[in-house]
Amino acid sequence: MVGRNTGSAGAGPSRRTFLKAGGVAAFGVGSLAVLPLFGSPSQVQDPAKCFADDLSSTQKKLVVSNWPAYIDPATKKQKNTLQDFEAATGVSVDYTDDVSDNAEFFAKVRNQLGGCEPIGRDLMVLTDWMAAKMIGLGWVQPIDADKVPNLHKNLIKPLQGRSWDKDRNFSAPWQSGLTGIAYNSKLIKGVGSFQELITKPELKGKITLLSEMRDTMAFMLKVVGADPDKFTDAEWEKAIEELHKAVRAGQVRAFTGNEYIQDLTAGNIVACEAWSGDVIQAQYDNPNIKFVVPEEGLSLWSDNMLVPNKATHEGNAEKWIDYYYEPEVAAKLAAWVNYICPVEGARDEMVKIDDTLVDNPLIFPSEEDLKNTFDFMVLDEKQSQKYEGEFSDVTGG
Amino acid sequence: MTAAVVAETTGASPHPEPQEHSPKRKLTGYWLLLPGGLWLIVFFVLPLYSLVATSLYDPDGSVLQGYDMTWAFSNYWHALQDYWSPLVRSLVYGAVATFICLVLGYLLAYAIAFKSGRWKNLMLVLVIAPFFTSFLVRTLSWKLLLRDDGFIVNTLQFLHIVGADGRLLATPVAVIAGLVYNFLPFMVLPLFASIDKIDHRLIEASSDLYSRPAVGFFKVTWPLSLPGVVSGTLLTFIPAVGDYINAQLLGSPKQRMIGNVIQDLFTKANDYPAAGALSVILMLLILVMVLFYVRRAGTEDLL
Amino acid sequence: MSQVAEAPTRSGVESYEGLRLRSLTKQFAAFTAVKSLDLDVPTGSFFALLGPSGCGKTTTLRMVAGLETPTSGTITLSGKDITWEKPYRRPVNTVFQNYALFPHLDIYENVAFGLRRRKSKEVDKAVREMLDLVELDTQARKKPAQLSGGQQQRVALARALINSPEVLLLDEPLGALDLKLRRAMQIEIKRIQTEVGLTFVHVTHDQEEAMTMADTIAVMNAGVIEQMGAPAELYDNPQTTFVANFLGQSNLIEGTVRGREGDVVKVDMQGTIASIPTERAHVSGTDGELGWVGIRPEKVLIAEVGESLDAPGSSIPGGVVSDVSFVGVSTQYLVRMPWGQEIQVFEQNTGRRRLFRQGESVDISWRPEYSFLLDHNQDATAGVDKEDAAS
Repeated sequence: MVGRNTGSAGAGPSRRTFLKAGGVAAFGVGSLAVLPLFGSPSQVQDPAKCFADDLSSTQKKLVVSNWPAYIDPATKKQKNTLQDFEAATGVSVDYTDDVSDNAEFFAKVRNQLGGCEPIGRDLMVLTDWMAAKMIGLGWVQPIDADKVPNLHKNLIKPLQGRSWDKDRNFSAPWQSGLTGIAYNSKLIKGVGSFQELITKPELKGKITLLSEMRDTMAFMLKVVGADPDKFTDAEWEKAIEELHKAVRAGQVRAFTGNEYIQDLTAGNIVACEAWSGDVIQAQYDNPNIKFVVPEEGLSLWSDNMLVPNKATHEGNAEKWIDYYYEPEVAAKLAAWVNYICPVEGARDEMVKIDDTLVDNPLIFPSEEDLKNTFDFMVLDEKQSQKYEGEFSDVTGG
Repeated sequence: MTAAVVAETTGASPHPEPQEHSPKRKLTGYWLLLPGGLWLIVFFVLPLYSLVATSLYDPDGSVLQGYDMTWAFSNYWHALQDYWSPLVRSLVYGAVATFICLVLGYLLAYAIAFKSGRWKNLMLVLVIAPFFTSFLVRTLSWKLLLRDDGFIVNTLQFLHIVGADGRLLATPVAVIAGLVYNFLPFMVLPLFASIDKIDHRLIEASSDLYSRPAVGFFKVTWPLSLPGVVSGTLLTFIPAVGDYINAQLLGSPKQRMIGNVIQDLFTKANDYPAAGALSVILMLLILVMVLFYVRRAGTEDLL
Repeated sequence: MSQVAEAPTRSGVESYEGLRLRSLTKQFAAFTAVKSLDLDVPTGSFFALLGPSGCGKTTTLRMVAGLETPTSGTITLSGKDITWEKPYRRPVNTVFQNYALFPHLDIYENVAFGLRRRKSKEVDKAVREMLDLVELDTQARKKPAQLSGGQQQRVALARALINSPEVLLLDEPLGALDLKLRRAMQIEIKRIQTEVGLTFVHVTHDQEEAMTMADTIAVMNAGVIEQMGAPAELYDNPQTTFVANFLGQSNLIEGTVRGREGDVVKVDMQGTIASIPTERAHVSGTDGELGWVGIRPEKVLIAEVGESLDAPGSSIPGGVVSDVSFVGVSTQYLVRMPWGQEIQVFEQNTGRRRLFRQGESVDISWRPEYSFLLDHNQDATAGVDKEDAAS
């Protein structure tokens, strides 16, 4: 491994040694000289300029990237919604579940989208804040409202008028969910609030929080009396300090992604910050898992379908969006994925499919349920970098 | 007779190569270098430059407005200041895990090489069997194994090795154990290759020459297995220090390693300069340690 | 030597100043490598265990070294039972077949290895002397891989000898060397043995090597010792067909015992009556018993038909030369006898007589005191083809 001087002895510091040293020096200087070439230009694009011709009319194809376990699976007996779509439109769909983390997906496509190059996908599904970020960077193509009448007709009210895409010109929610608290009723009586979760001594070392900064910090801001939809730097400092206190005290066992649900069912933790869909699915196996609406309220979020720049089958993508906003398709999907269905009228269709799910507030919440929901303020690049950095420092102990 | 033997060793024939052949032959060597060299330039050297450049980006840049390479060496200073504790922690965890791997791996490799007889191949397959499943799945299954109400924790509680409400998950023990488990094959395989090559008669010879088994081990087996020890410890230590999966799944925020920090900085905070600086620091640290170690272990001098 | 050969029959209870094996047996899973072996090796002797591969000689050696545990039996050295002693506690050292030099240590440290383990004080002096003895004093700081085969062999010898073991075991020590070097080393090792005066037990499949070096040879076959004695004694008077064939070559001719007369046994050998001295007749000697009459090829004389030979003895007429090979110092004939057997005849090329040609009729004869009589129950081809078996 280590270079060994094999030069012949006797010649002293020979010409060869000298040449070698010179070579190394030249290489070093050359390297320094090329480094500035590796600067990174602004990654902002203009969707009006950075787009590809739509080949939908000639190519009956569609490439979709979605999260794992986020669509009803096809069985031998029954076709799934995707196959129905293919049958109805003649478009063949290349469906991949390669989105497992917003930030990771961003890292994966950043260089292409930032440089106005295609990423080989026509549709991708990303959570609100990431959708907002990409739209802000100009990486997302607008969706023609005329082509997706169902979206504008059937989108449920709480998801309309989001600050980062007021008229749903760029995004269409695939599924929505609530962030709240889950606990194991076999182990504890219950948890009423986020405040309780991060301070109650009995829960010390027995809780987890989500590693998504916006999910967790929205509640922390609520705990310190701020509004996550609109907060100041000072309020942020207070909230992050509060979280830091809980971490230092050993109250929080881990900051996690989806894995918290295994810890909860295994009994490693007794309560945690949780996503509604995970809880419903866990309840099938373990009825002791409960979801509670914390006193601070609920955070409502959605994962959104976006058409990236340079997508070549936008027309087919719009067909897909419109198709999934038909209530009966949406109901069929919701019956399997158990998240909040963003489509008005799906609840009535659900009666035909599985009436035990109709009154489940975690799939079809009432207006009343969603009255107390909050969202996270849209952050600009610098804010995001600062807050994410501070959050990861705290979660990093 | 001695004269004959000496002639045999010193009788190097001064037979010069035909002159016209040598330039051509030299060129062939360079041509052979070309594909691998190109590959390295495109997929190793360029990304490395890019990484180093990233670590020197203007820290005030952003994805939105782009980054300029402004020779911002302060990134390094800040990264060290902010993240020295996970950095040190990673090195300590990596070192401890490597040491445990060495002890366990040596016993395992020794047993497979010398004692397993016709089961040798099967045992080797079993050693690499964990690789048949994904790293993530393996580590997740450890969560199940070490869970607070699982039999391991219960047994340890029963034996009063951990307190009544003690736990393994979310402790350094779990993270290091996970590292040991995941990187053990990287230790065992080179060790096995080295130990298996050792002629059993050398051990018999040492025993014939008045070495009790322990002495024979340290005077013969151990020095002859050093190449395996060196490559095994390197193959274990380097990825273990940079690993983030074990700390993420088996640890708590208090066990965060430098890999987690870099990952978060890159993907979550999008603080590329800091992430780049930390990556370069980690790379240089490991490089220096490896050079020092290889020199100390004196692998060049073996055999 | 004869008392050595008889020693195994005595009880092994009294103290004996050499290496003594009693009823030594080693069984591996399915076969018995060594069968109830009795052996006495006197102090200071150069003792060879000779036999084809798989005869149990190496296993015997490894049991003496302690590298193999006997299934039953005892090993005593200077009256001390060492059967179960750990190898590193035995005053016995081995020169291994492929030398087994420690590749990570230089020559000096290889030789010093045993002394260092025993915390000897005078390591440097002893190593220097030993390297002098094997003429490697200039190679002390080289690694074994840098030496030639013959040099490595001498390092292995030095490494074992330096410990002044009561018994030095050599396991086919010259097997890896080419023929010329092997001959040179045979003399070298013999010289060293004479110089240091230690007991050497040498295992080999090469009969010439055993005869050159050893003062006592034990011929082993299939786990037992067939015959033991001085090289010349074994060669002149083999007691079994295996020894007769393995050690040199022999013509074995079927014959029928026709009774004793004084100190000879009369044997009817295909119509010719041969007289074999009693001490060379290894049969019961009852009338009518079948036996093998053995004669070494160089002891057979060849002559023109009817020519009178100067060696009165068992002269057999009616032979026809079926093959002639001229090898310089001698000529080797194959002579087909009237009963169909081919007899080997080696004749020195003294120049006094012409060579015979293939197809010529000849008479052959030999002096009866050179022949030997062997048990007919033994396989006449045992021990033949040893060159194939050895490799």
